[in-house]
Amino acid sequence: MKCASALVVALLLPVGANAQTLPDWSGAWQMIGPTVFDMATVEPKNGRAGDPGVREHPPYTAEYEAIYAKNIDAIRTGTFPDPISTCGVPHGMPRAFNVPDAYEFAVTPQQVWMITENGPGIVRIYTDGRQHPRAEDRWGTYTGDNLGRWDGDTLVIDSISMKGWTEKDEIVDRTGIVLSPDAHVVTRLRRTDANTMEAQITVDDPKSLTKSWSVTKRYRHLPAGTRVYDYACGENNRNPISETGRTLTLGSDGKPLDKVTR
Amino acid sequence: MTFTFILLGIGVLSAHHSGTMFDPTKVKEISGTVKEFQWKNPHVWIQLYVQNGGRQEEWSIEGGSPNTLSRNGWRPSTFAPGASVSIKVNPMKDGSAGGQFIGAKFADGRTIGNWDRD
Repeated sequence: MKCASALVVALLLPVGANAQTLPDWSGAWQMIGPTVFDMATVEPKNGRAGDPGVREHPPYTAEYEAIYAKNIDAIRTGTFPDPISTCGVPHGMPRAFNVPDAYEFAVTPQQVWMITENGPGIVRIYTDGRQHPRAEDRWGTYTGDNLGRWDGDTLVIDSISMKGWTEKDEIVDRTGIVLSPDAHVVTRLRRTDANTMEAQITVDDPKSLTKSWSVTKRYRHLPAGTRVYDYACGENNRNPISETGRTLTLGSDGKPLDKVTR
Repeated sequence: MTFTFILLGIGVLSAHHSGTMFDPTKVKEISGTVKEFQWKNPHVWIQLYVQNGGRQEEWSIEGGSPNTLSRNGWRPSTFAPGASVSIKVNPMKDGSAGGQFIGAKFADGRTIGNWDRD
């Protein structure tokens, strides 16, 4: 009887995973550093995403370097809209690894959920051995289709089928970085010590990149007992986007403070 | 009692929208009386009455998310209506009565945020 029960448990566990060996990623985490995606190449070195003239150096194709240059110009004129400012769309992948506020990682044998307080957002990573849907059975979404496999204590995440920049509503960061819908992202996520998570993110994209682009993001563990809250972006959004892409600032009366609103 | 809360990094104020309306190269100090503290997502807002040449202006000062701010010591009561306070902001580029919060000093000497930033 005992043997039969063990067999049933074994059959329920996904390939390559074992409930007893799943890592402990519990608690709340926060990204270390600002929301520049690739801090290794940002110019100027202390540049903040969204400040005029700040840029990174992904190995862009000429076509996407031109798109990036156009986006950087739009930031200079205050007309580069951040899609998430509409308070209704997810950050998407790989931007979900690049947001402020708290992160949580819910690790189960079948799935890992990366939950971002900001947004709020959730990335579902299937670790049950399934495959990506066939091309005719999938369509671009913000977070795409994410498969995970365990390599020891490292979760290797394979992400495809993101919307990308085609519909001009998925960006990677507020310097104006964008990718095409053909982007393929592989992320190695692991806890490097008690207080640190690390995501090694490698992006391949035949349309936007001439070679692989690797970025490392880190997250610190927040104190034990930290609570994570509703983000409710639409609760009091005083920064709507104008029809020209300008981010406005509303006064307490609901009218724009801005002298230019178009 | 004197206490100081320090915001943890510039990411705290980097939230759901572009900050291009603010001038990060300028720091403006304004003093006045709190009209209202909006402790709501995605950003907190301090509404401050400021006297300017005998005329009362209302300033709108934007902070980070209440979620992260709460983990750095802020509470819904931090800016009580009627409190006297001086606030440093990155002002709006177009000169409108608004800015991005940097730090504040209350009448009793308490400070919050990066008040020492010049």
